[in-house]
Amino acid sequence: MKLFSTLVAALVAIEAQAFTPTRPIEVVVHTGPGGGSDILARAVVGMIEKEKLVPVRMQVVNKAGGGSTVAAAYLFEKKGDPHTIGFFTGVWLTSPITTAEAKVTLRDLTPVARLVLEPALIAVKADAPYKTLRDFVEAAKKSPGQLKQSGGSVTSRDNVVRQLLQKNSGARWAFISFPGGGERIAALLGGHVNMMVIEPAEAGEHIRAGNMRVLAQVSEKRLAGFPEAPTLKEAGFDVPSVPQVRGVVAPPGIPAENAAYWEDVLRKLTRTASWKKYLEDNQFEDGFQNAAELAKFYDEFTAQMRGILQEAGVKIVR
Amino acid sequence: MDIAGGLIQGFAVALQPANLLWCFVGVLLGTVVGIMPGLGPPATIAMLLPITALMNPAGAMIMLAGIYYGAKYGGSTTSILLNVPGESASVVTCLDGYAMARKGRAGAALGIAAIASFIAGTVGVLGLMLVAPPLARFALAFSAPEYFALMAFGLSMVVLLAGRSMAKALLAMLVGLWIAGIGTDLFTSTSRFTFGRMELLSGIDFVVVAIGIFAIGEVLANLEAREEPQLLPVPKGLRNLLPTMQDLRDCRFAFAQGSIIGFLIGVLPGAGSTIASFISYGVEKAFSRRREEFGTGVIEGVAAPEGANNSETGGALVPLLTLGIPGSGTTAILLAALVLWGFKPGPLFIAENPNLFWGLVASMYIGNVMLLILNLPLVPVFAQVLRAPVYVLYPLILGVSIVGIYASSGSLFDLLLLVGFGLLGYLMRKLDYPSAPLILGLVLGGAMERALRQSLMMSEGSLGILVSRPISSVMLCFALLILLIPFFSRVNTWRVRALEQKDL
Repeated sequence: MKLFSTLVAALVAIEAQAFTPTRPIEVVVHTGPGGGSDILARAVVGMIEKEKLVPVRMQVVNKAGGGSTVAAAYLFEKKGDPHTIGFFTGVWLTSPITTAEAKVTLRDLTPVARLVLEPALIAVKADAPYKTLRDFVEAAKKSPGQLKQSGGSVTSRDNVVRQLLQKNSGARWAFISFPGGGERIAALLGGHVNMMVIEPAEAGEHIRAGNMRVLAQVSEKRLAGFPEAPTLKEAGFDVPSVPQVRGVVAPPGIPAENAAYWEDVLRKLTRTASWKKYLEDNQFEDGFQNAAELAKFYDEFTAQMRGILQEAGVKIVR
Repeated sequence: MDIAGGLIQGFAVALQPANLLWCFVGVLLGTVVGIMPGLGPPATIAMLLPITALMNPAGAMIMLAGIYYGAKYGGSTTSILLNVPGESASVVTCLDGYAMARKGRAGAALGIAAIASFIAGTVGVLGLMLVAPPLARFALAFSAPEYFALMAFGLSMVVLLAGRSMAKALLAMLVGLWIAGIGTDLFTSTSRFTFGRMELLSGIDFVVVAIGIFAIGEVLANLEAREEPQLLPVPKGLRNLLPTMQDLRDCRFAFAQGSIIGFLIGVLPGAGSTIASFISYGVEKAFSRRREEFGTGVIEGVAAPEGANNSETGGALVPLLTLGIPGSGTTAILLAALVLWGFKPGPLFIAENPNLFWGLVASMYIGNVMLLILNLPLVPVFAQVLRAPVYVLYPLILGVSIVGIYASSGSLFDLLLLVGFGLLGYLMRKLDYPSAPLILGLVLGGAMERALRQSLMMSEGSLGILVSRPISSVMLCFALLILLIPFFSRVNTWRVRALEQKDL
């Protein structure tokens, strides 16, 4: 088996030689400048240029609109174009489940590679009475619907974590949507909500300044930056730790060697020192998966999300 | 560290030749970006991020901030000259600014915009320097009910923006609120009024509506006049192009309230400069003795919103630098830039990086002076645009509008929307519907709906939360007072008329 996979890798490597880009590359992201995907894409482009992994220039193109819908449709229209790639996130998988207009799913595009998994923390204000996640859940049980969590939209990871915890424990608390991360944090620090699911990089400084406390981390294993906080499982909640995924896809209908070329470039990137430092600085987990594994991941993730959103009472369209 | 010491240290950083140069590059780029409709500071800063990674962080921060506040200066230029808002925060400047240009006072309008921007920009930096930490705590006290009350206060201004008919103004406002509702609902992920078009999923960009109704509608309405059009009067001589002493006196209150309102609204992460400029315009009109003349080219109608959107910048940097909380698209990118350079923005940022913070503050004082020196001499240059005959001017307006929209979104669908809203603007002019209430509804609608629903989720459905919290109840009272203004002015007109009759 090992021999076989080495052989395949070697073949892929040979095949990859068959294609080299000749025009500037369009890198499509679904957020405006400054959004999570945009920042990651620009960082990756910077590192690829620094390591000289691609012989042509790469240009980030913002195709914001309708969550991921506009960007996905744009990539779909670029059918057969080997000089375009796109950065996807979990939204690309959840939008089509809940939005009728989001007709292009990741299944309609060519998978290239999964790059990172972003873990999350469950945090409360530092002066909150809850010392552990169990404390919070018990308090929520005592007064159902009284405690509040700030977060993104109903399909965001924040709400998925809440749904899973509620189902596991039988507790119930409110979820209040805010459009921007800044407003979510402000609501917590101002004492208007009791808890939030927050990215480690966003929380780090508030924790260091003594304004916030971590109850648990939404991750399979403890993050290097937060050795004290238990994972969900360690805190006694046997729920799947839903990661925020980020990766790269290409337009449909491109020759296999093109997809293999990009997969190869990204694999090389993930082995560089600058990539390892980037992951460490941002407290991301290395989530590298090749195209074949990624396609399998889509299906599992989509099925899981569909179930969770259905239970949350969100309208499912496909 | 005390403020004086910090400031001296800051000037020591900002006055280094390299940093002075970056400051100038930033404000110059900002002015250009502000003048060009469509291209905004967030896109510009994002494009420059890779270059800044090679720079000294203080210089880079000084430059990026320069782009941010410099754009607010440039934004008014096309609003005043062409009725094409250059930035979303300059939409309200069109109302009186363009009317002034039509009356041959384009130079005075451009000049007062630069002066108001300078004064308010400086007040914004003063605020950032003196009261940042306590104000950040005030911003945290603001939550959904307070935002709802703030938006309600803003929306009550509709009675001030109405023309001859209150019913028409309210109808236009409702259309604006409806347009704000188009798109994917944040709370349930349900699409509303999208008619199966994925382009509508994230709603209609406010700038498309504003440029369509103001600029395209204006061109269409003017094309209808078949007689030989007259050239717009542009007085000769620099002295006649700049604001007079009387203008400056008229704007005293506008300078003050614009600076303060803009700064305070800027501090709130959930509001923004467009809302600040509208509220400042409304407040100016509410307190004005010549309320009826607003919209016909009153100079304080330009000074108030232009001031507010500049001091908003200083305000918006407060939560960013003291808490690491970004309140707008631009501050979000500045946050990303700080992280990229290896800083950790958050509550400890200022204490741990005094050089960067004080250097930035000092550079903003310098940058505002540079902007004033840069922009005032440009006034006569820009005013010459209006000497162009209509067969040049109107195609220019159309071209600037279309290129601006396409540059910002790259979507042909947005161009169709632009045409559609242009026709709507034309019809509204023909039928004497005021356009400002529509824009007001559109600007405030989204945030207001969100705040109301968030409040009701917090209170489990009780509307009491809106009046039981002190800040929100005070603001709702203000809103009520504004709503009563037309009633009082009518009573006043009766009283005056009665007195006149008695004299006879």
